[in-house]
Amino acid sequence: MHASPLLQTFNTGPALLILLWVIFWAVVGGVVTPRVYRRKDLDASSATLYGAVAGAGTGPILPVYLWVKTPELNWRWIVVPSALTLAMLIWAFAVYDPNNLCVNNGGYVISQISNGLLVGVLYGLIALGLTLIFSILGIVSFAHGQFYMIGGYVAFFVVDDVFGLNLNPLLGLLAAGLVTMAIGIVFERLLLRPMHLGQIERPSEYAILVTFGLAFFLTYTVQATIGTNPRKLTPYFPIDTVTIGPVSMPPSRVIGAAIGLVVLAILYWFLNYTWRGKALRAVSQDKQAAAVVGINPLTMNTLAFGMGAMLAGIAGAALVQVFTWAPNVGDVASARSFVVIVLGGMGSLIGAMVGGLVIGVVEALGVGCFPDVSRALAYQQVFGLVIFAIVLLLKPTGLFGREL
Amino acid sequence: MRKYVLFAMVVLMLVVPTVTAAAPMYQGEDYVVQADDWLSKLADKFLGDVLAYPAITYYTNQKNAEDDSYAKITNSDVIEVGQKIYIPTPEEAEAYFANSVQSIGSGTIKIGSMVPLSAPGSVTGGTAMKAAYEIALEEINAAGGVLGQQVELILLDSEGLPERATSAMSRLINQDEVVAVACCYHSAVGLAAKEVAHDNHIPVVFAETWNDDITGSGYPEVFRIAPRSSDVAGVDVDYIATLNPSYVAIMTENTGYGIPAAEITTEKFNALGIESETFFADIGTLDFAPVIERMKAGRTPDVILVLLTGETGFNFEQQAAEAGFGPEDVVMVCNQAASDSDSFWAAVPDGRLCLYHAIGLPTALWTDKTKAFAEKYVEKTGRARPESYAMEAYDSLWMTAQAINEAGSTDPDAIIAALENIQYDGALGHIWFEYGSSNPVPEDLPASAWHQFMNPAVTIVQFQEQGESAADLTVVFPDTYKTGDQIFPGQ
Repeated sequence: MHASPLLQTFNTGPALLILLWVIFWAVVGGVVTPRVYRRKDLDASSATLYGAVAGAGTGPILPVYLWVKTPELNWRWIVVPSALTLAMLIWAFAVYDPNNLCVNNGGYVISQISNGLLVGVLYGLIALGLTLIFSILGIVSFAHGQFYMIGGYVAFFVVDDVFGLNLNPLLGLLAAGLVTMAIGIVFERLLLRPMHLGQIERPSEYAILVTFGLAFFLTYTVQATIGTNPRKLTPYFPIDTVTIGPVSMPPSRVIGAAIGLVVLAILYWFLNYTWRGKALRAVSQDKQAAAVVGINPLTMNTLAFGMGAMLAGIAGAALVQVFTWAPNVGDVASARSFVVIVLGGMGSLIGAMVGGLVIGVVEALGVGCFPDVSRALAYQQVFGLVIFAIVLLLKPTGLFGREL
Repeated sequence: MRKYVLFAMVVLMLVVPTVTAAAPMYQGEDYVVQADDWLSKLADKFLGDVLAYPAITYYTNQKNAEDDSYAKITNSDVIEVGQKIYIPTPEEAEAYFANSVQSIGSGTIKIGSMVPLSAPGSVTGGTAMKAAYEIALEEINAAGGVLGQQVELILLDSEGLPERATSAMSRLINQDEVVAVACCYHSAVGLAAKEVAHDNHIPVVFAETWNDDITGSGYPEVFRIAPRSSDVAGVDVDYIATLNPSYVAIMTENTGYGIPAAEITTEKFNALGIESETFFADIGTLDFAPVIERMKAGRTPDVILVLLTGETGFNFEQQAAEAGFGPEDVVMVCNQAASDSDSFWAAVPDGRLCLYHAIGLPTALWTDKTKAFAEKYVEKTGRARPESYAMEAYDSLWMTAQAINEAGSTDPDAIIAALENIQYDGALGHIWFEYGSSNPVPEDLPASAWHQFMNPAVTIVQFQEQGESAADLTVVFPDTYKTGDQIFPGQ
């Protein structure tokens, strides 16, 4: 049976009871556990978090066990309770809105997750570039979305026949990568290198302003030269809609995600199996030690900025066949990338990738499951931000962040 | 016999002078500009009055319109050596001044405008309106401008954002000192702009801003030639009702246009017992996949009505089509931005069978003015046909110019009075404002009838072939304008 959107009935009362139960035991666990640990002279630094999650997930059962036995708090005591907490919340949701498609239609949930994963790969790819720049140069580039936007345009003009080029899509991707990389390298050499040479008095403010300036410059240059008429490519390769069980994936998105995965594989190989890639990782771990063993950090800066721009550019080229392209598409991409890299942990490559997938899935599920159908899409970005806020609250360094 | 000849001669003598008096007389002389000439000096020399130079400008531009060996004077302060100009006779000059009532200085008359020329505004609409304004401006100036002066159009970019609109409108009025404004694409922009216009008491003729409240606030300065959202919603609903749907999905935007438009439409559906549901999206939303998935998995709509404007609407329509839920799968009333068919097909290649509501007379009923404008517009922009907002832009500027001329001055009250009584014939047909200060809005009509053009033609048209130009679409509704049958998905 399909839910009739006009006959939405919400069981607010029972759902609220479940929620109150969860909150009550979370508070009890969070408040009592650290006291018990402290009284027994044990390490209580993470007892609040562990106690709260234990209470939320299992009610009184696990907290009481913790109070009695006071075991050493390691990952084992957080993973299962977290899963149980999530299950409790889903249960509350299912009770609240039993007609919701996310509750009574498993195939639908899988479709939404696959939708989220498909775009999430590319969100991750954009964020990877940003986090790479951050881990090597120690700056946040505010012009990152603009490289994404330019990559899309370059691919469009190479592959489309507006200029009579009409070339192979692979050349379009290559051109998008090369052009954005070239812009990135030139910009880094001209405007960021002085910062690393100590020629700038207040480097961190400088980095913010100069990348902001670049963002405006690129957006308005594109607007003035190419114009703002909407552009879009048809799918790069003529494949059919991919249907697996209840899930059907439009060709353009499948191609986009496949491009993302190939680029990721190449990046993985580059970072792990080439001298330059290893050098990049070395610089990201310890600049001085890397310099001692003969890695020029300035060269690595340029390389990292160029590669970061290129990753965004290729992501743009992969998405210009999915979305309608305009000079402002980079703005949303920029904002989302910041969320992704903070969520994943600043400077963590794997974190950026996982963060991208998480944001993609959370946004899709949020829009797909939010009880108020009318507003669901308007809250699209909010769902990602809520997860972001929760993660920051519980683990301020992000999912894969290094302790500072 | 002789009597008849005499009679005929008398008649001829009577008729000929009246004919020549009606048309420009052109009994003056041609003159080639020499070094050190300027118009007031020539006016003094030939007409005996240094202030008579606007007449030279006017008649030269008149001649230029017929014969381009004459110079076109856009600024009376600038003439160049070697230009051929026309010096009217003192009688012609007098006739000119009698018509234009007064001559004010040497400057130009400034009219302001703003359209969306960059994202997140609907750029396809903004560029169309800009081209239309330029055509109207050129025509107005070729016809001698207003009050004997050239018109200068100051056109700003609204970006479709209300905050931009407020600052742009203040700039137009306070810095550029425009005497009137003909403007706007987005309703949110119109709502912001009308407040500034009202505060500064500057008349505005709105094109393409549909929100009912724009005229609904009853400001004396505000006039509108575009239909209201409720007019358009009425046609949408009447059309959709003919399909006997049980459930309609409305995809709209979170803006000053989208929210009330969806509300009005929903009310009208409710009145007819048709169930509907509204899905809101922010303007500029890129990824519609999750909501399309939700529409597909939930109760299947019989009709999808897209009220998302510009590129955002294109994004939705194409992604729906890619997900197997597009116009070839479900009856879809697409956004009227599709009337820029080149942009539409570039962004929505799978958009065949899209319907949309077209504003303005169907092609078969075009007047000579519409045809003349359409020809210039197609030549200038390379688009298939003038979209409704292009025609509205063209008419709003021409109407403003006509009102200033009829007012005989640039005084806001005089212009407003002229607009209230205007009978204008333009690209959209005959336009007038039924209700105003002398004929108040009757109680049984909504307040938005104030200064509102009450009879805009709205039709539903359909793309029936891949890549079809908006110029030759099939009109499927209403019956009075119908040119063919609708093709349904799967048919």
